[in-house]
Amino acid sequence: MKRLLPILLFLFPALAQVVVEPGWVRLVPPVVPDTAAYLTLVNRGRTPLRLVGAETPVARRVSLHRDHQEHKGGHAVLGMRPVPYVEVPPGGKVAFRPGGYHLMLEGLKRPLKAGEKVELTLLFQGGLKVKVVLPVEMR
Amino acid sequence: MKRFWPAFLVLGLLGLGYLLVPRGSHSFFGTRLLNPKPVDFTLEGPKGPVRLADFREGLVLIFFGYVHCPDVCPTTMISLKQVYENLSPEEQRRVQVVFISVDPERDTPEIADQYAKAFHPAFLGLTGRPEEVQEVARAFGVYYQKTAYRGPGEYLVDHTATTFVVQGGRLVLLLSPDKLNFAHNLGYLPKVVADLRALL
Repeated sequence: MKRLLPILLFLFPALAQVVVEPGWVRLVPPVVPDTAAYLTLVNRGRTPLRLVGAETPVARRVSLHRDHQEHKGGHAVLGMRPVPYVEVPPGGKVAFRPGGYHLMLEGLKRPLKAGEKVELTLLFQGGLKVKVVLPVEMR
Repeated sequence: MKRFWPAFLVLGLLGLGYLLVPRGSHSFFGTRLLNPKPVDFTLEGPKGPVRLADFREGLVLIFFGYVHCPDVCPTTMISLKQVYENLSPEEQRRVQVVFISVDPERDTPEIADQYAKAFHPAFLGLTGRPEEVQEVARAFGVYYQKTAYRGPGEYLVDHTATTFVVQGGRLVLLLSPDKLNFAHNLGYLPKVVADLRALL
């Protein structure tokens, strides 16, 4: 397999460009139909990498969100805003984490259980798809 | 000897200052309110109306949020769970965590309560009629606004994400969402626990 790797990388150069450091899918109360997924995207390539969406068998839709913060009346007012894409600069990385970016899994088809594995297919500009498996955890 | 006098004076003053610092005083991590504001409200719980003044003993930790909120609200709710679990059973009896939904259109008192209890069975979820929730929010200086409206039942809500600590009917401490983001800073957990212990 090790010998095959350079050949595979030659055949799929884009795969070599993107590395996904797994994170987790948030365990939310069963009354909540939406949840968030967290991971880190690393761009090993020389061109910018754009995440444009994702798919998962457990939710109707996956959208990209960034947290939004403003101050009103001396308090932090938080919210989130959908973003059309998330760009990772060449040689850089973008961490999706609470308080920053998250992948919002909207309309869960069933409540998720702690410890189960969720499959997520990341869609990049140019047609590249990368499949990741994330554990469901309350954190 | 004479030229050492200024040094003696400085040391003496420092010593005096040290003696004047109150012993055992706790330096708060959260924002301690010097003029604790009286607060009260009645909202709907899963088993009927709940009044803040009913919790006369101990501390009430109040967080305003909404159920369809996968990032901001769970971050604080999970942290409140961790804080609560770090207290002794005796301390836990004197602390009530309350989640108030600012989205009564979608969240009934039952849903708000099920949400809160999923983080910890001792937590309580409340909400009320839209105008009631608005009045409570105003009393706490809480702001909320629908955004990204896609249709009825499909929208996001921006909201103040501060956790309010009430003691004896007065607002005594504020914990900002940054200070309750243990996912970023696990080191904040003991500081928040120490704040609650100092109040208890």
